[in-house]
Formats: sequence, C-alpha cells, structure tokens
Amino acid sequence: MKFSRFTWRIIGLIVLLGFTAFFFVPVIWVLLATTKTDTQLTSAGPFAFGAFSHVAAAWRALFGFQSDAMLEWLKNSAIYSFGGVAIAIVAAVPAGYGLALTQFIGRRTLLVITLITMIMPATALVLPLFLEMNVVSLTDTAWSVILPFSFFPFGVYLCYIFFSSTIPKDLLAAARVDGCNEWGVFRYIALPLARPVVALVAFFAFVADWNNYYLPFVMLSDNSKLPVQVGLEYLISSTEAFNPGNPGAGSELVKRPELALAILVAIAPVAIVFLFAQRTLVKGMLAGATKE
Amino acid sequence: MATVTFKEASRIYPKTERKAVDQLSLEVGDGEFVVLVGPSGCGKTTSLRMLAGLEPVDEGEIFIDDRSVAGLPPRSRDIAMVFQNYALYPHMNVAENMGFALKMAKLEKTEIVARVREAAKILDLEDFLERKPGQLSGGQRQRVAMGRAIVRKPQVFLMDEPLSNLDAKLRVSTRSQIAELQRRLGVTTLYVTHDQVEAMTMGDRVAVIKDGVLQQVDVPRALYDAPINAFVAGFIGSPAMNLLDGVIVDRGVLIGQSTVALPRSFHQAVGAGPVVVGLRPEAFELSNDGAGLPAVVKLVEELGAEAFIYAQLDQPAAPTLTVTPDLVVRVDPSVVVKAGDRIILRVKDDSMLLFNADSGARITGS
Repeated sequence: MKFSRFTWRIIGLIVLLGFTAFFFVPVIWVLLATTKTDTQLTSAGPFAFGAFSHVAAAWRALFGFQSDAMLEWLKNSAIYSFGGVAIAIVAAVPAGYGLALTQFIGRRTLLVITLITMIMPATALVLPLFLEMNVVSLTDTAWSVILPFSFFPFGVYLCYIFFSSTIPKDLLAAARVDGCNEWGVFRYIALPLARPVVALVAFFAFVADWNNYYLPFVMLSDNSKLPVQVGLEYLISSTEAFNPGNPGAGSELVKRPELALAILVAIAPVAIVFLFAQRTLVKGMLAGATKE
Repeated sequence: MATVTFKEASRIYPKTERKAVDQLSLEVGDGEFVVLVGPSGCGKTTSLRMLAGLEPVDEGEIFIDDRSVAGLPPRSRDIAMVFQNYALYPHMNVAENMGFALKMAKLEKTEIVARVREAAKILDLEDFLERKPGQLSGGQRQRVAMGRAIVRKPQVFLMDEPLSNLDAKLRVSTRSQIAELQRRLGVTTLYVTHDQVEAMTMGDRVAVIKDGVLQQVDVPRALYDAPINAFVAGFIGSPAMNLLDGVIVDRGVLIGQSTVALPRSFHQAVGAGPVVVGLRPEAFELSNDGAGLPAVVKLVEELGAEAFIYAQLDQPAAPTLTVTPDLVVRVDPSVVVKAGDRIILRVKDDSMLLFNADSGARITGS
C-alpha cells in the first residue's frame, strides 16, 4: 500500500489514540464514578459528573467501613511491600553481582536455574508455598507474605545483566591491585555503581508486591492482616449491588461509588511511585547501552 | 624497589592448545625499566598480569625480590598497575581515585592527603582533584591512572599499554614524561606495548616476545644492531628492515637478478644455498657508478628531515623466488626521485645481516 509519509503518520496517530482510549476510558469511568451516588451510576450517563460532595461522602463511608478496615489494609500493604522490597534488594544485588562478576564452580548452572525459576508462573507456586509456611507455622502472619515476596529471581536477573554489562572487568582488577579483597571490591566499587539497578529492582518488586492478590489471599485469613488488594475483594463481596439478597462476608453494606474510590486508593501508591521513579528507571534500563 | 624474576613461567588458557606464555625466563634488575614488546596476542599482557596476580601461573615461578609470589593475591604483592583503559573508579573524584589504595592500606588521613597532593603536583593534576573521571580528557585520565600508581610507592610498577589510547602527539610527549618520571622515582618498572618505537625510546632493556616465546632481551642498541633472528630484526626499527630472499653464490649473494658482494667475515660462515638477507632502509645509497641492485620507484614518502623510497627490485626473467621483494630505502631529502624512475641501489659496507632461511636465526660472521 503506497501512502505518503503524512498519511502513515495520521494512521499511526489514530491507532495510538485508539489504544489510549482503550486503556484510559475505564480509568476515567472509575474516576467519575466516585463523584456520583449509587443510583446516579445507573441513571446518569457513564461520563456524567456528579458532585464533589458525593466524593466526600464516599470517602467517609469507605474509611468508616468496619472501623477503619481500609486504613488497616493500606498499612498492611505498605508493610508487606516495603518489607518484601527491602529483603529482595538485599538478596538480589549481591546475587546478581556474584553471578556476573565472580568465578565459582556451578556459576553457570545457578544462572540457568535462576532463569528457569524466573519464568515459572508465580501463581503456580502459591499453594506449595502455603504448605511450606504451614509446616513452620507461619501462615496467617506477616512473614508468610513478606518472605515469598522477597523471592525475586527477576531482580537477580536484572542485577546480573546490569553488572555484567556496565562494570568493566579491569575496574575490578584495579580494585584488587589497589588492596581490596572480594568483599571490598563489591562494597567500594560495584555497590556504589549499582544505584540505577537498585532503583529498577525496587520499582519492579514494589509494583509486584503491592498488586499481588493471590498469595496474601491464600496465606492470610484474619481480616485485619489483609493487604488492600485482598481487602478490595472483601469489599466487593460486601457490595449489595453485586450480591443481591446475599450480602456476603460482612454485615455492613458497601455502595458502588465507595468501591470505585477504594480502587483508586488502591492503585494510587503505585502510580505515585512510578511518577517519581521514571527518570531513574529509564537510566537503569539503558545501562550498558554505551560503554565508557 | 625490588627485582623481578620470571623463571620458566607459562600460562595456558583453558581449552586451548598453544601456550599463551611459553616458559618465560626474564630478570629485571632493581630500578630497571624493562619493556615487553611484540605483536598483538604474543603474550606480553598475559605475562604482566601473571606478575600482577590477575592471571594464574600454570608452570614455573615468578619472584619479586627473591620472594615467590605464588598464592599471593594482587593486593599482597606490593605492586601498582596502570591499565590500558585506565580503569578509574567513575564514582570517585580524582583525589579519591588516587587515595583509594592508601585508604585500603589504612594509612593516616593526613598521610593520604599529603601523598595525593605530592603526586598531583608531579603530574600537574592539582586543579582537577575534585573532578570525576567522566569530566576529564583522555590525557588527564591517563595521568590520574599514573598518579594512582605512584602514590602507592610500590616495589614494582606495571604498565599495560598506557599510551595506546592517546592521540599521536600526546603519546610522544607523555612517553618522555613517563620515562623521566621512572628515572626520578627509581621504581622497578615492567612496561608492555606493541609499539616498538615506545619500546626503543623508553626501555633500559627491551624484551621481544612472539607467540608466547621470548625472542631476545637486550638494550635497544643491541636489538637494533644485532638482532638474534629475522623476527626481531623485522620488528625493531621503523620502517621495518628489508628482509629479502637471496641465494649464496661464490663470494656473493644473489638478490633478484644482481649479486651483491658478501662481506669477508661471512665467507667462512655460510655455504651455498638460500638465505635471508636483512638490509635496513639506511643500508642503501643511490649508486652513482651503475653498480648495484636495479629497481623501480613505486612511491616516495617525504618526511621533511628524510625521505623513504618504496621500490621494486628487478627480477630475473625466470624468477626462482616466490616473493617479489619490495624495498624501503632511506634517502636524504635532497634526493630528487619520483614514482616510475629507475634507480640503482648500492649496499653500504658492513650493513648486511644474514639469516638462516629455515630457522630465521642470524648467521654471525667469523
């Protein structure tokens, strides 16, 4: 098909706009849904704007649900995510460095195993993990979530790629000649240069941990220990509109605008982190593109 | 200050057959500047790294000051190394780069600052102490790499082609600075390069290496005048020595279609048969009596103070030689020749070297 460059550009623009709409329309709908009352959702148009006062009402109702359950859930999400990220970084960065820049028997095998575990679907591992946690009597505790969160082979792989592509071997040789033992080489040379990849791994780990639903759902039974993703499910089952005649889990009833607000609150942290992390992310992803 | 001794040291890379370094035996005296030179891949950098402890020694031994370094990690050998790509720590500024090893050695802060300042003064880096390597030019980075080595006050300096990343002019000026610095500090130095000009101008002694085997180690003058074999003869000197196939005939050697008289000292040393004749560019002069080797000028290089003629020797009608000999001849710039001219080259007295046609070893006269 022979079109002018200008025509191709227009076609490209239309396609992009189409995809943008596809992704953004539901989000916009949710945003607007918080401004309406429950009945307005079905009576007014999907993109009609209600009133800010409705948002305030929904907010009060949401955070009043089951005496601050939402706040509790958010707090739990934060603890589980930050805990998982912290341990994941402490484990992944030295592991990636070791795989990339040191020599030991079985290094190749370990690398292959890391890659294999990386492509295993996390969901498939949840039940075996539950059985393990059960054996050590850790189920229904914070550790049953944080410890599996810390297992992040993708983070190890990212660090491996980063270290093997951005740190010239001669730099380590220079450090060894200058008096460093192996730990010194890591601590004084590799680690200070690893800031971009630490940010990258932290970001990916945080997003994965914050959004994880299935693992905490299986591990935790106490309502007060749930992270916000599982809490959302609890809210849904308490929403009268979705469970007509059978209110489900709780005795309090939740209106749909409150649910919409809960969704927004649940995804806000990830959106904010992403906005701040953007610049460092791009730097980390381009690491190794050009060699100094 | 120390001596360095390689004793039949060898290194074979895993899964390879040929030794990268083949039984290297070399002694470096205290305070001496020895250059390891040879073509790419000859094993000179590997030898240096074996001394540094960055490559394992598969056979033989290496001593620093009569103490074997076997089993010692690089940090325990009291050596300092300048790498080809400088290997400066990018996240530290110049002062921190230079002081890093001293920090590792747990020296007093005041001592570290004093030594760094002293080295910066010698290398003209005082204005750059706060800058990071990324903010420096190539030449400045090279000086920081040198500074990092000299603050250590080690027993041995190791330098791995430190000038190869500099532009030509900077290379020439830095070359003499390094040589002068080494003389001043008096530290035993092992210097690796592929550039024979660097080797000849900087080293007290030069070790020529080929395919992992040490060919000859001697003062530059001796390497130039008395190379041990055809490889050393052809490697040292720029432009390279002309190595021509010849045949010994009665009292002379046949080159191309002309016979050149054989110096008296060789009469007893060679029998008839093929031989390799070595003639440096300055071994020729343009004949004014028609006697000599006829040739055709292909190219003239004017270098200002001298000129080089690239010529092709005349061949016999039925050539017995397989290689058409091209010659390089050095002439005074006043000589007027151009491409296409016919010239006759006379070999100056006592300027011919003969090499065994099979082994390449030099044939010495009686």
